[in-house]
Amino acid sequence: MTSASRGCTGCRSNSFERDDVRCHLICSACGLIQDYDGYDAQLGGINGPEGTFVRVGTAGTGTVYTYKQRKVFGAQKLMDELIGRLGLSDSPKADHVKTMVANITEKEFGEGNWFPILIGACAYVVMRKDNKPLPIAEVASVICSDIYELGRMVARVVDFLDLKGPEKFPEFDIVWSFKRAVRNSSTLSSVESDTLEIMRKQGIFLIQCAVKWFLTTGRRPMPVVAAVLALVAELNGVNMGIEDAAKEVHANVSTSRLRYREFLEKLVKVAGVLPWGEDVTVKNVVKSAPFVIEYMERKSMEMPDSKKRKKVDGVIGVDLGDVVSECLRKDVEYGTDGYGVEGDSKCFEVEQNGGIVRAGDDDDDSDRMKLSHESLSLMYEEFLDKMRHKKSTEGSAEIRGKKRIGFKHHACMDWWNGKSDLSKKLLLKQILEKDVGLDPLPPSFVTGCRVYTRRREKINAAKARINRVMHPSRTDLGESGDSCSFDSVHAKKKRNRRQANDIDWEDFIIETLLLHEVKEEEIEKGHYNTLLDLHVFNSGVLPEVLPWKAK
Amino acid sequence: MADQGGLEGSQPVDLKKHPSGIVPTLQNIVSTVNLDCKLDLKNIALSARNAEYNPKRFAAVIMRIREPKTTALIFASGKMVCTGAKSEQQSKLAARKYARIIQKLGFPAKFKDFKIQNIVGSCDVKFPIRLEGLAYSHGAFSSYEPELFPGLIYRMKQPKIVLLIFVSGKIVLTGAKVRDETYTAFENIYPVLTEFRKNQQ
Repeated sequence: MTSASRGCTGCRSNSFERDDVRCHLICSACGLIQDYDGYDAQLGGINGPEGTFVRVGTAGTGTVYTYKQRKVFGAQKLMDELIGRLGLSDSPKADHVKTMVANITEKEFGEGNWFPILIGACAYVVMRKDNKPLPIAEVASVICSDIYELGRMVARVVDFLDLKGPEKFPEFDIVWSFKRAVRNSSTLSSVESDTLEIMRKQGIFLIQCAVKWFLTTGRRPMPVVAAVLALVAELNGVNMGIEDAAKEVHANVSTSRLRYREFLEKLVKVAGVLPWGEDVTVKNVVKSAPFVIEYMERKSMEMPDSKKRKKVDGVIGVDLGDVVSECLRKDVEYGTDGYGVEGDSKCFEVEQNGGIVRAGDDDDDSDRMKLSHESLSLMYEEFLDKMRHKKSTEGSAEIRGKKRIGFKHHACMDWWNGKSDLSKKLLLKQILEKDVGLDPLPPSFVTGCRVYTRRREKINAAKARINRVMHPSRTDLGESGDSCSFDSVHAKKKRNRRQANDIDWEDFIIETLLLHEVKEEEIEKGHYNTLLDLHVFNSGVLPEVLPWKAK
Repeated sequence: MADQGGLEGSQPVDLKKHPSGIVPTLQNIVSTVNLDCKLDLKNIALSARNAEYNPKRFAAVIMRIREPKTTALIFASGKMVCTGAKSEQQSKLAARKYARIIQKLGFPAKFKDFKIQNIVGSCDVKFPIRLEGLAYSHGAFSSYEPELFPGLIYRMKQPKIVLLIFVSGKIVLTGAKVRDETYTAFENIYPVLTEFRKNQQ
């Protein structure tokens, strides 16, 4: 508040005269010079620019920085913080991320909720370009965002930088993710380096098997990484559950568990070639896993079928006896070390020329081997010995009050060779060329086929029912169709409780569609709503002869 | 349907038009029409039983009819979007039915500029597809991010159609204005898919 607004300090008069030279107010009644405290800082002194001075470029009080300076400072600080939390601060990638953010924002950077997402997206893109991808879930958790929001930003960044094609923007490298997970795992930090190296190689081998087995195609990669991490930890006697593994790689626990189970199911199928393969189930496959993985590893080191065929000129198929004895004998060719491979080589030792004979010809399903009785008994004894040893170690561990899971480290050294190419990162083409004893179809495709078969049987049953009504005299019609259908129709547990002659809503729809002369191939696809709309409730298309005109 | 043969009720696929022998099934048709009059949405929502209107959530009346089973979004400007039909004729018929309902509610609705905006189709090639290989060799058109979406997104240039390709062999085609674009896109992609098929034993 100025003196003028209060009146003269001497006589309270409100009449003042202004001394423009000195900028003083003088009371026109008593002549007292007033203490004027309302000066504004004038740029350029008394001869500076005239008019009302408005300071621009600052916000709030107590700062001399412009808005842009403050924004850029805040952005740099945020970038440093997020890059540090992503573990990139010590690498040159940090500068790449900052440069990318600067380029995209034209050095304006930014404020607000979108900016951390942009930083996360740039970090993801930089690492992915370098073939060292960060899991998107991990980046999302660091920047406290949703993976889909981050994914949209990544897509925008990729579009903006025109990163099209695998050369500029390689696909997500699941093997690298596994290696990174092993390296950064806090649970595995206390594990000996030798064991860790073995786990790393086994994991890479199994991850690449998962790629070959379609366990990663169209699925989030990190749950598969968690599943393999948990499996190799168990095999090497490291106490790391699937929950811990999933947490460490930012994967969903239930999905990781599902992938773990799927992996075990595949191992069960591979175990089918073992002499005790029929007894191996998902519940006990981990006990047989060393043998299964050893078999897979040896098999992956085989020559491809085509080359082998050339070698065994004139013989139909591959003589597995030769292959296995060649692969499994104690031989320096595969660099078998001195960690008791003798037992294994003995275990798989077979009679020359036909100890192991491939049962079929070219068919992959005929991978089952016929083994000599001696080798069979030796292998099984070996298996039982290991199981006994495991039980005794488990027992002693329990007595000490701490139950260890999995196998002892030395046991792992027995069966793991680590010389297979699949223990190193391979290209997809090379992975697909390798034979690991199993070449399954994708789970979603298998499920689809099962659903088709079920629908086909339902269609047949519906046709039989319709025919029975239309031709009551021909009692033999459709009997078989009905009976065959109910085996699969009532496949689910819930439906098992029903009576055998029970039909459900799906059967009614199929019957309706069949009566409207819908193609069976169309019904098989299962788009019931579409078919009902097109063929049953299709009031859009008028009949050729209107009913009232027909009369 | 007098005999067993009558149950088949099928017409063979035209192999000239569909060399793959597979015809994509149309799953959804989206069309627009201009009713060419301003509408009082609140009035419509109060008068019509099959309408819902929540201006805080969405600035249009959502109306549904049973036959053809469709949903319409009716805006105050008089523009209308009709979704859910399974054929072009059904979409047009449904749009006409909605326009008639609006007329009966006392608005001078016309039926102007009807246009099919999008056709969604789907089919199954019945073999598994190695998506990684397809993404690698058709990187310029493909986007395969299994961390975000299980399918491969293939943006075909001619015809301008987006295809979602799944490992199970199921395909979704979207973005067509006429059904022939959907068919052509599928016939274009089919040989590519066979390159990356996983052989079934």
